[in-house]
Amino acid sequence: MLILRYSARELLRHPARSLLAVLGVAVACAMLLDMIMLGGGLNASFRSLLTTAGYELRVSPAGTLPFDTGATIPEARATREAIERSESVSGVGPVLAANLLEAGRDDSRLFVLGVDPGEQGIYVLEDGLDPGPDEVVIGRELADEGLSIGDSVVLRPPGSFADASAAARPFRISGQADFLYASAGERSVALNLEAVADLTDRPDEASLMMVRVAGGLDPEEVAASLQAQFPGLQIASVGQLVEQAANRLSYFRQLAAILGTVSLVVTTLLIGTIMAVSINDRYGTIAALRAIGISRRSLVAAFAVESLLLCLAAASVGLVLGLLVAGQLEKILSDFPGLPAAIRFFVLDTSRIAWAAAGVLIAGVGAALVPAIRAMNAPIASTLHREEP
Amino acid sequence: MRETSLGGSALLEARDVRREYRLKGDLIEAVRGISLEVRSGDFLALVGPSGSGKSTLLHLLGAVDRPTSGSVLLDGSDVAAMSDPERARFRLEHVGLVFQRFHLLPMLSALENVELPMAEAGVGRRERHDRATALLRRVGLGDRMNHRPGEISGGQRQRVAVARALANGPSLLLADEPTGELDRRTSADMLELFQSLNEDGTSIVVATHDLQLAEGARRQLVLVDGRIQP
Repeated sequence: MLILRYSARELLRHPARSLLAVLGVAVACAMLLDMIMLGGGLNASFRSLLTTAGYELRVSPAGTLPFDTGATIPEARATREAIERSESVSGVGPVLAANLLEAGRDDSRLFVLGVDPGEQGIYVLEDGLDPGPDEVVIGRELADEGLSIGDSVVLRPPGSFADASAAARPFRISGQADFLYASAGERSVALNLEAVADLTDRPDEASLMMVRVAGGLDPEEVAASLQAQFPGLQIASVGQLVEQAANRLSYFRQLAAILGTVSLVVTTLLIGTIMAVSINDRYGTIAALRAIGISRRSLVAAFAVESLLLCLAAASVGLVLGLLVAGQLEKILSDFPGLPAAIRFFVLDTSRIAWAAAGVLIAGVGAALVPAIRAMNAPIASTLHREEP
Repeated sequence: MRETSLGGSALLEARDVRREYRLKGDLIEAVRGISLEVRSGDFLALVGPSGSGKSTLLHLLGAVDRPTSGSVLLDGSDVAAMSDPERARFRLEHVGLVFQRFHLLPMLSALENVELPMAEAGVGRRERHDRATALLRRVGLGDRMNHRPGEISGGQRQRVAVARALANGPSLLLADEPTGELDRRTSADMLELFQSLNEDGTSIVVATHDLQLAEGARRQLVLVDGRIQP
């Protein structure tokens, strides 16, 4: 252990060099951490979001992703009833989405979701009650604009002023909710499905159906079974949707993988360079220690520990730095258009980070071994001749 | 050349030892067929001009280097026939080495520097602490044990190096220009230390330019061009 104590103290012998080394490697570690958080974070966050409300399947018009286009599922009531009849399904929540205008307040645009309040996974009520026939639940954006429970909102479909005015209807605000899939700044409200159907003149349509799988069943198998039963629709499990989304956003993962690899290579090169300089400075001492009988194994272990300590210090600083940078980047990316605001680009996955940390430590120790082994193979006598005047 | 006869048994025997190496394509004959014997309790000084082969011979005698031909028997073992790890272990247990530039570890205290070879040899913490303390007291550094090399004088550093060389109770103490970095007065103190250790039974071989140190040894061998001068 004495030789290991020597390793630890050796780092303190050149504090400026050690500090610069730690900072350099820490920056590379921070980048690696961010790339790992980015690489897997989006998928994990998307999966978590889709399963928040407990619906494992999504039914959408064929060839689309949920809310991807204005296409709708026709004969929505009959379809819902048919899906509900399946023994592998425990609930179906239809959703009809529309862009409506809020009459009287500069005709500002609202994203309106028609739901069955008893079976929905679109919002989580934060205050008040689910919407009744002439009621509306508002999101945080509208609450921030000053609307509250008990106030009224007049909604009308877009179109010519005369026609639209005739279709305008007032709704009393019954509750305030967190809309799970709303993008940043989106002004969302939820009404009864029938109310949206009336306002948009789409009496038997749905943009999407959220399906709850009966307990213990495999969502993928249920999705496949329903898909065979309803070939005109697209029925996907959350896992399949995550995969589709991941394919669409694969450039994020590729970017993360490339930059992560670069970070790891930079870490290895930095540690290798620092340890090579440090070991080269001590060739004479190393030869003398070998001459007095200190084994190669002990000396290599000492250098490995030295490198390990350097990497641990750098990884600790890198962790803090990486989290700070990820926080800043998250703020920027959360405004990415069309993506739910709840999506997190940078997710702290401890197992992946543990693997990355292990990778950094292994790379660091490996990088130290090269100059260490070279020093161990230098002939003792000629090294001492060279070092002694 | 002065020689004082010793009645002790042969501790070290070098027989027709040669050491050659290549430098930029040229064959250098650093040691050319030297035979010598060091008896238990001896204090031998190897003297000679720079490049005469003193340090090379010392490294061969201490199992630091392997001869190109010939044999070196130390404590009855042929060190030339040993593998590198075997020779490292042999040096650890049987040979004490002192260098001109001390080669102490700057971030360890004097005590820890002396403990280092004992730790490598597997001596327990308590025992090595006690032995290192005793050795540092023996070399006159009882009040400098917790000082680091940078906090003590050159002479004191070399005393720490001597204590480190004696850590595992070696049969033979080898010193390569041990006073090369010291002033005349400190060199005299170092000679006194070597003589005192020798009187206590430590066998010593030094390679030196320092005539004061060489004359203080029991016997001297003069090397010129890799050969012992008659």
